[in-house]
Amino acid sequence: MLPNLVVAQAHDSVMWDYTRKMFLGDALYQFDDRIRVSLPEFAEDSMQVPVSVDASAIDESIVKMITWADYNPIQHIFTYHPEPGMLPQVSITFKVQQSTPVRAAVLTESGQWLVGSGYVSAAGGGCTLPSESRMNDDWQSSLGQIRAGRFSSTDQPGADRYKFRIMHPMDSGLVANIPSFYLEQVELRSANGDLQVRLELSPAVSENPSISFDLLSSDQNYQLWVRDNDGNEFQRAL
Amino acid sequence: MAMNSNEHFEGVAMVFKHLRYALMGLVFCGSWVQANPLDYALTPKEIAPNTWVVTGLTEDFTTQNGGNIVNTAFIVTQEGVLVLDTGPSKRYGEALRQVISEVTEQPIARVYNSHHHPDHFLGNQAFADVDIYALATTIDLIKSRGEAYTENMYRMVGDWMRGTDVLLPNQIQTSGQEIIGGHSLRFMAFSGHSGAQADLVILDETTGVLFAFDLVFYDRALTTPDTPGLMQWLEDIEALSLLDFKTLVPGHGEVTSSTKPLEQMREYLKWLDQVLTDSAAQGLVATEVMRVGIPERFSSVALAAQELQRTVSHLYPNYEDAFFAESF
Repeated sequence: MLPNLVVAQAHDSVMWDYTRKMFLGDALYQFDDRIRVSLPEFAEDSMQVPVSVDASAIDESIVKMITWADYNPIQHIFTYHPEPGMLPQVSITFKVQQSTPVRAAVLTESGQWLVGSGYVSAAGGGCTLPSESRMNDDWQSSLGQIRAGRFSSTDQPGADRYKFRIMHPMDSGLVANIPSFYLEQVELRSANGDLQVRLELSPAVSENPSISFDLLSSDQNYQLWVRDNDGNEFQRAL
Repeated sequence: MAMNSNEHFEGVAMVFKHLRYALMGLVFCGSWVQANPLDYALTPKEIAPNTWVVTGLTEDFTTQNGGNIVNTAFIVTQEGVLVLDTGPSKRYGEALRQVISEVTEQPIARVYNSHHHPDHFLGNQAFADVDIYALATTIDLIKSRGEAYTENMYRMVGDWMRGTDVLLPNQIQTSGQEIIGGHSLRFMAFSGHSGAQADLVILDETTGVLFAFDLVFYDRALTTPDTPGLMQWLEDIEALSLLDFKTLVPGHGEVTSSTKPLEQMREYLKWLDQVLTDSAAQGLVATEVMRVGIPERFSSVALAAQELQRTVSHLYPNYEDAFFAESF
């Protein structure tokens, strides 16, 4: 017997079986409300919807986190690969095409897939509207500029939050005559070059996206490196 | 599988039984629809000599309220009626014109649109035969966004919108004093709610009524899609509080003869600005700020939690920028 919550979450979208197979294949999984997926109730701007995933209530380390929106034409939002020291907390802005469940599937060290869900209502159109920068045409001068901040966490002693916004049109490829052009890889490395976190982004991520993640270790000089699907690389110290 | 005649008879009886219920359902539904037509049931209240206000609900747009969430007003003068805002739909505009004709035999002289948001001008079609005034910036904004607003209203309130289309104001209103039908009216342009010089405010110096429109929300959370900044809005509130008025008509919320709405606006704007600043300084992300608790002192302010979510979408990225280091 499946617990009620599992049944409810699995059935709240006709796309669930399709998207689950797309991202998890035939792997066994379990819904788990310890994975919190926070969204606004309504997407005021369907091109800039904030989502936060927090899997810190799970009592083991995670290997990978995949998020997607069931009803988006491009379902995948991001995949997160943390190294030790990273907290399983990620926030990002993305586009929604219509009201949709948003999923976060977490692979734990013991090999279990745990899935959390959220829901956002929307008037829609996010993925098939041209980005603002495409309408202004001045995006080239700011392409790849990164604004960033480091903040000490108030409720988690010893933890730091790294938050940054990077200028990029993030074209989905679903708008006529505008090919897909988007950031696809984000890496954070410590001063000695050790990889801390790797993030794969999809074109469903917002134009000029805001991204944040939380780290346990402090007083290190981190280097952020980002690459788009055209091979442009951007980096800066955080 | 064949049925014997007895079973067949029972089957037919069952069909009739179900049909009867179905018909009963039709009858009930029919009378329900008749008892609840799409009727705004507007009731104007005289708040000062010859000055009437139709107070809307302090709700969000729904298919139940038809978008009747806005205050409209009219002043009956010797030279005809001045109509201040026309409501969210053609149907509302027609209902407003109807109740005006029940109050006075004076013809409509002029219509004013206070700003470009859909609940304030989409009733214009009911006044197509008279001059409609608005600030020049407001006319431009209605021109560029009116159609999208209208579509969105159809989506949010449904059939109440039937037949509604954008009718642009045809006259530009400028700031300054005008005497119309024995009323000395002061027209002012502000920016806090709708953007640069896009908020019309009217002070009727003859009756002491200040029509603040959407610069003032009272016991209803303010909305921020077009504000140039909360501090700009606060400045405008300070300017309003220097005016000499007896009665205050907010764009949303009850009419009062006190300065309470201005105090509430001041407190609320300061609180919002503080929340957004503090959150950005702490590095909170948007989803966290959207769930900040509303202080007890604003418990009378309807929709505060919902509007906070919208405000975070509109304004938080700018607050975040202040705590980011530039690219290097």
